[in-house]
Amino acid sequence: MAMSVVLEGVGLVKRFGPTVALGGVGLALGRGEALAIMGPSGSGKSTLLHCLAGIMKPDAGEVRLLGERIDTLGERRRSELRRTRFGFVFQFGQLLPELPAEENVALPLMLGGLSRGDAVRRAREWFGPLGLGGMEGRRPGELSGGQAQRVAIARALVTGPAVIFADEPTGALDQGTGHDTMNLLVEATKHNGASLVVVTHDLQVARWCDRVVEVRDGQVIPGAAPEMIGATG
Amino acid sequence: MSGIFGLAWRLLRGGGRRGMLGSALTVVAVAVSTSLLLFAVAANLAFQGRADREAWRNPVAAARDAVAIQAVHLDHVDDRPVTVVDVAALEPGAPAPPGLARFPAPGEVWLSPALADLAKRLPANRLADRLSGKGGGLIGDAALVHPDELVAVRGQAPGSPVMTAGLAVDGHDDIAPTRISGFTGTRTDNAIGYQILALIASVLMVVPLLVFGGAAARLTVARRDQRLAALRLVGATPGQVVAMTVAEAVITAFAGAVLGAALYLLMTPLLTRIEIGGGPWFVADTWPGVLPVLAVLVVVPLLVGLSAVVGLRRVVVSPLGVAKRETPPAMRFVRVVALLAVLAVVPTLGMGAGVGVVTVVLSLAFLAVNLVGPWVVGLLGRIVAASARRPAGLLAGRRMIDDPRAAWRTVSGVALTGFVAGFIGLLTPGTGLLGQADATNLRLAVPPAKAAALSEQARERLATAGVRATVTVKAGGGRGKVLVAALGTSDVAVTDRARTALDGLVPGRSATTAADDDRSGFRILDDVRTGTVTVLAVSFLVAIASAGITAASSILDRRQTYALLHLAGTPMKVLNAARRTETLLPLAVMGGGAIAIGMFCALPFALSTMNVSGLVTLLVCVGLGFAGVAGAGAASAPLLRSVTANPAPRPD
Ligand SMILES: Nc1ncnc2c1ncn2[C@@H]1O[C@H](COP(=O)(O)OP(=O)(O)OP(=O)(O)O)[C@@H](O)[C@H]1O
Ligand SMILES: [Mg+2]
Repeated sequence: MAMSVVLEGVGLVKRFGPTVALGGVGLALGRGEALAIMGPSGSGKSTLLHCLAGIMKPDAGEVRLLGERIDTLGERRRSELRRTRFGFVFQFGQLLPELPAEENVALPLMLGGLSRGDAVRRAREWFGPLGLGGMEGRRPGELSGGQAQRVAIARALVTGPAVIFADEPTGALDQGTGHDTMNLLVEATKHNGASLVVVTHDLQVARWCDRVVEVRDGQVIPGAAPEMIGATG
Repeated sequence: MSGIFGLAWRLLRGGGRRGMLGSALTVVAVAVSTSLLLFAVAANLAFQGRADREAWRNPVAAARDAVAIQAVHLDHVDDRPVTVVDVAALEPGAPAPPGLARFPAPGEVWLSPALADLAKRLPANRLADRLSGKGGGLIGDAALVHPDELVAVRGQAPGSPVMTAGLAVDGHDDIAPTRISGFTGTRTDNAIGYQILALIASVLMVVPLLVFGGAAARLTVARRDQRLAALRLVGATPGQVVAMTVAEAVITAFAGAVLGAALYLLMTPLLTRIEIGGGPWFVADTWPGVLPVLAVLVVVPLLVGLSAVVGLRRVVVSPLGVAKRETPPAMRFVRVVALLAVLAVVPTLGMGAGVGVVTVVLSLAFLAVNLVGPWVVGLLGRIVAASARRPAGLLAGRRMIDDPRAAWRTVSGVALTGFVAGFIGLLTPGTGLLGQADATNLRLAVPPAKAAALSEQARERLATAGVRATVTVKAGGGRGKVLVAALGTSDVAVTDRARTALDGLVPGRSATTAADDDRSGFRILDDVRTGTVTVLAVSFLVAIASAGITAASSILDRRQTYALLHLAGTPMKVLNAARRTETLLPLAVMGGGAIAIGMFCALPFALSTMNVSGLVTLLVCVGLGFAGVAGAGAASAPLLRSVTANPAPRPD
């Protein structure tokens, strides 16, 4: 692959008691690449994502970000890494219910040391392009599910991260809204030069990505090109 | 109904480990409240018991048909007061005084166990020689204020000098021979005073307790909010949801109440050692009785259930309940008006106001402070959120706006204790109120006609006893004469020997020093201080327990938020700083406010301006309050770490 590798997992093993969630998984993510992870429920998709994102420490194997090991870092450093180099979009509940939307987006910037005024100004710039104009002051409880996910996308991208991790980001939305949101996520990620790792059950979503891998029983099965999936699957 | 209970029970048990932890917190909170409530009830009953047991020594003159004569005076030994009761039967069937197996025959001396013990331990010329007579036996507990009380009952013949001397009474605790029809007597003013103080102390303790118990109750509701809203969505009727929650709260609270009662019983050996009114307590004093205990066991779960209903209103009204988080309407200003209204009444109170009125106003002031709390927290939240530069401040401010009641719950206990501390701080009597009285001169009021003869006798008696003293006669108050034996020392052994030597010189009288006469005054001041410390200790125990429990439960309630914040790389430092801000800031403002309001409420009763010991009490309280809340917050940091350790965000 000609693309330079941003994030790489090598021989990742993760056990939960007797359950082997990951049984020696290797995976590389290119710069600007959008990667879809598919697979049956309980196969280890979320676990893989968590290991790659430095949320979990694998029992064995290595995770490298731009060539540097991150799985051996202490919790504090990994936490900082997640804040500065990664962005996250989950299925639900990632926005702070007590904060207005714009402050939810501004929070990572403020955590990075930006002044509140600048952080909120930068955050607001995301609302128009994501179709959220006028929603800046609303609290998550006052947004629809799709709107809330778009705010979450803005929050994940606002710090200019290298990689966005998304775990079934549209799982709680109806198909139409889900596709719109997903499309937006892929486009916005690409537009910002970030890479994307997205766990999804939706073939259509996978088709928008550059590459699909399938996880089965803790093993990665290199998938076909996304446009082929519908045909073979 | 049994179906509802069954479902509630299953919900309770099926809550998983976190749910169990939450229920355990409620149980602990209710247990602490219950044990302290029992303490307050027992304390009032105990003072009542003391007053009743002392009443027989405070005779009421019989209008007719007197069966006995009773006289009471105070003697002293080892710097402790000895109550000497002289009784003479006027007819054979005279009833025995309480605690005595029979009416003492003339010449018999009955001693309280502590006095008998002391007479054995001290040299005879200090005490035992004064109590010579036929041994009558020990006085039973029913006639004693406390186990260490020194009491002697002497049997006399109706015609003996002690019973006939119509002496003018000058010592405030001496009671001249009184013809009585029985030993019912009446409560002493002193005992009634203690009962009133106990009642006020109870109000000061019970109101924060109720607030704490209420917080514990809503804690169950807060945890169940989500699930109950889901049940509503599924189609459960409001009635079913309410019944289920109440059932759950009542079950939990009952477990807590039983545990609390057991906790109280375990505490009683310690409680009996609290010295008030000159001594510790009988074990029986600490047992409030079966009915009060049963009443508490019934009332506490019911109150918890009631406050669960109140807490539930929001969920029941809307099926979406808390699932949809919207900006809550700001707290209404009416709360502040309520407080101002109560405070407006305070200046009209005074020493003359009835106890009932005072307790009601105090309770209302308390509740009003509790009402204003969330309003102030909301206001602070708006200020903090608007002015925050750093994430921690922003998070704390938004959180305070979002749920001012929850933020208030964490600190309400300690803030309300500030009210108690302010109230007490202003009322704490200074040690300077009473001077150091003289302890070297024994004084004895004598009939003026016999003054010269008695002083000669006194000289001889003292010389025989080997006590060096100069005896003079001085003019006493009014027409009386006072014989003064200057000992030149305040050595208690010498004084006791002199007292023994002078014993019986004037029938029914004992020589006292000025210090002896002031002793009861000092004792009351000491007791007020002991009471103060007890009330404050209890309040702080409650407050800090409540801060700890609410801090822990608020982490459990918000575990998903915290987990996601952590996951997105928010440093623990920021989360902990936000938690500190949202507790310590309201604490500082409302705690300070409550102290000021407490002092304001104490103003009508204050004898003097604030003194040093009051100020020290207050400062210690402020220090303890902050340390306690900060400590409770810090103690829950590991819990925060553990809820954020699990990375996968789950809807629970
Ligand atoms: N914290 C945990 N404790 C114990 N077992 C776990 C834990 N997390 C995951 N597992 C187990 O590891 C395996 C992989 O789980 P994972 O969450 O990665 O699956 P998944 O592919 O994301 O499934 P889904 O599509 O349902 O989300 C499962 O068997 C799961 O039960
Ligand atoms: Mg998963």
